[in-house]
Amino acid sequence: VSNGRNQDEADLSDEALLSGMSVGDEWAGLVFVRRHQGRIFGLAQRILGEASLAEDVAQEAFMRIFRHAAVYDARRGAVTTWALTITRNLAIDTLRSRRATPTDPDEPLFLDLTGSTVSPEDVAVAQDDLARVRVALDDLPADQRRALLLAAMYGRSASEIARAEVIPLGTAKSRVRLGLAKLREVLAIEEIQ
Amino acid sequence: VSSRATPSEQCYEIDDDLPDLALGTLSGRRRAEVLGHVGSCARCSSELQALSTISDLLLLLAPAAEPPVGFELRLADKLRAGASPPPARRLLQRIGSLAAAAAVVAVLGAGVGIWASAGHRSAPDQTAAADLASAQLQHNGSAVGQVMISAGRPAWMFVTVYDLESTGNVRCAITLADGAVDTVGVFKLSSGYGAWGTALPAGQVRSVRLVSSAGVTLASARISA
Repeated sequence: VSNGRNQDEADLSDEALLSGMSVGDEWAGLVFVRRHQGRIFGLAQRILGEASLAEDVAQEAFMRIFRHAAVYDARRGAVTTWALTITRNLAIDTLRSRRATPTDPDEPLFLDLTGSTVSPEDVAVAQDDLARVRVALDDLPADQRRALLLAAMYGRSASEIARAEVIPLGTAKSRVRLGLAKLREVLAIEEIQ
Repeated sequence: VSSRATPSEQCYEIDDDLPDLALGTLSGRRRAEVLGHVGSCARCSSELQALSTISDLLLLLAPAAEPPVGFELRLADKLRAGASPPPARRLLQRIGSLAAAAAVVAVLGAGVGIWASAGHRSAPDQTAAADLASAQLQHNGSAVGQVMISAGRPAWMFVTVYDLESTGNVRCAITLADGAVDTVGVFKLSSGYGAWGTALPAGQVRSVRLVSSAGVTLASARISA
C-alpha cells in the first residue's frame, strides 16, 4: 500500500473493511460484498445446486458477517476462509433442514481443479498451497476424494458417508483420513507425534 | 497445559476426532469435549490448526459464481431491515415475481444500487478513491505498520502494526487539521503485531500516534493533506 490520499479500495484489507462495517459504513460493506459475493455465492451453489437456495444462504452469510464484523478476530485466520466457513455451515444447515440431495462431488465442475477462477488477488492464502492441494486432490483415489469432499463440503459424518456409500463405517473413516493425510503430505504440514 | 513433547492420554483419545472437528463434522457433546481439550493443549491445538488449514483450502477451491441480478439490492434491503425479510417479500422472491424482477433490472440498469439510493455514498468505483488515505506507521524511520483512513460517513480508521518491538496496550492518538488532539482508543499489541479499527470524529486527520502506557510514542504516521 502506498502512502497518500486517493487510495484505491483495493488497498483496503478485508480486516479493514470489517472494521468499517462494524462502525456502520455501508460503503465498506458494499466493497466487502462485491469482493466476496462471487466466492460466497459460488460455494453455496456448489453445495446446494440451486441458485435461489444458494442466494438465500449467501445473503444470510453476509448478514452474519456484518453482524459479527466488530468481533472478528484476525487470529482465527483469513477473512475469506472465515466467510466461507460461515457459508458452508449455513448451506449444510439448509441441506439438512430440507433433506435435500447435495450436488454430486464427482461432477467434473464441482471444484475448480484447473485453477482458472482463483486469482492471486482473490484470496489471502499462499497460491502455492492452493495449487498443490488442487493437484493432490485430483490425484487422490476417487473413493477417498469423494469421501473427503462429502465431509469437507457437506459436513457429512463418517457414519452418514458409510450409509450413503453403502460401506462399513471403518472404511468411510479411513477414506476421509487417508485423503486428509495425503493432502497434508503434499502441503508438507508437519505430523505430530 | 499439555505440551507437544508430552501428549497426554487424553490427547490420544481425541486424536481420532480431530479430523472430524477440522472438517466440521463433529457435533454435540463430543465436539464440546474435544474443543475443551484443544483449548488447553498446545499439541492438539497445533494439530487442529494443521488439519483446518487443509479444510479451509478445500473451501477455497469451490469456483466463484456470479450471483443472480439484484443480489446486492436484496441484501441491502435485509441489512437495513436488520432481520430476515418479511414473509410477503420472501414469498415474492420465492414465486419469482416478474414485476419484482423487472424492478430490480430497472434499478441496476440505471447504474444505481440501493446502497447509494438512500443518501449514502455512491458506488465505490465512482467516489471511493477520494475518500481513502493511507500512511506508513514509522518508528525511527522504519516502517512498522500502516494506517488506512476512510473519510466517509462515518469516518473510520484501521491500524495495522506488524513490526513493533512492543507488547501490551497502546493508546492511539490523532491530531486533526485544526490542531486538536484526541485519543481514539486503546488496543493490544501481541509480540509486535496488532490490528485495530475505530470510528473517527469529524475533521481531517493529519497524524496518528501510538503511545505506550508509559507515555512514550512508539510509532507515528503523517497523513498528507
